[in-house]
Amino acid sequence: MPFWFARGLRRGVVTTRYPARSDGSAAFLPTPPAFRPRQLTGQTADRLVAVCPSMALRRQDDVLIFDVGACTACGRCAEAAPDAITPSGEFELGATARSALVKRIPIRGETR
Amino acid sequence: MNAGSDGTRTGIGAGSAGQDPAGQGTAEVARQLRDTIAAQFGRSLHIRTLDTGSCAVCEQEIRLLSAPYYDLHRLGFFFTPAPRHADLLLVTGPMVRAFDGAARKTYEAMPGPKVVVATGACALGGVYPADPFVHGNVGEVLPVDVWIPGCPPSPLALLQGLGVAVGRLAEKTPGLTFIAGQDIPGGAG
Repeated sequence: MPFWFARGLRRGVVTTRYPARSDGSAAFLPTPPAFRPRQLTGQTADRLVAVCPSMALRRQDDVLIFDVGACTACGRCAEAAPDAITPSGEFELGATARSALVKRIPIRGETR
Repeated sequence: MNAGSDGTRTGIGAGSAGQDPAGQGTAEVARQLRDTIAAQFGRSLHIRTLDTGSCAVCEQEIRLLSAPYYDLHRLGFFFTPAPRHADLLLVTGPMVRAFDGAARKTYEAMPGPKVVVATGACALGGVYPADPFVHGNVGEVLPVDVWIPGCPPSPLALLQGLGVAVGRLAEKTPGLTFIAGQDIPGGAG
């Protein structure tokens, strides 16, 4: 008899909560990028802004503004600058404020 | 739904703060109302999906929620075909302008308290931000309470978003920086 079935019978609980640990398929999900600011030069940032098809990236002086809500996790930025970008692995991104999804990435590499 | 029977039609989040016709302006009343709604919604609620011009991949992921693997119903969520029975409006797509009237009618038809969840990058303003045929953001037409990013959001992401919408799960997005791990300490570039 499966463990969960025995436990459910014992507790008299028929429903369970949100999964405490992620399931196996989570490892294969495309996820929004995470940035390495030291590898991120001004030139690279401009290239990333140009390559993003969903306009999730824009540059504001020495800051790259990343709109997670607009990101489609297509991976084109990671292809354009593999040393500056790595998959974040984050996909549980539900937010009550739209502004919480806009992230500021400092550009720490040399600007030219 | 006791919280809805006194005429209040407000949702949970800040997005619908302006929708309070009873004029209970104080923050304290609003907070109490939110707590009540969260307590009411914490048990079981019905979801109406609204496709405002999406490519249907978000719908595929939503459909997978009721499959045995994710099994949405164990958490007390159910899908309903009628907005009259719905507590939560799950909106996908970039909000096509031709759909404005239908979207507003659907929202009006829902009994209060109600929650609007925008689902997918289109609904959040990502894919069509400057297209003349769409609003490009669900928030321009409906008061959105929870935003779920992803193109499409995976069923787990949807589950987490629904958990956030009913106040069962804490949102983790505000704490994320999207800066890769080894570059956070120090800061000297």
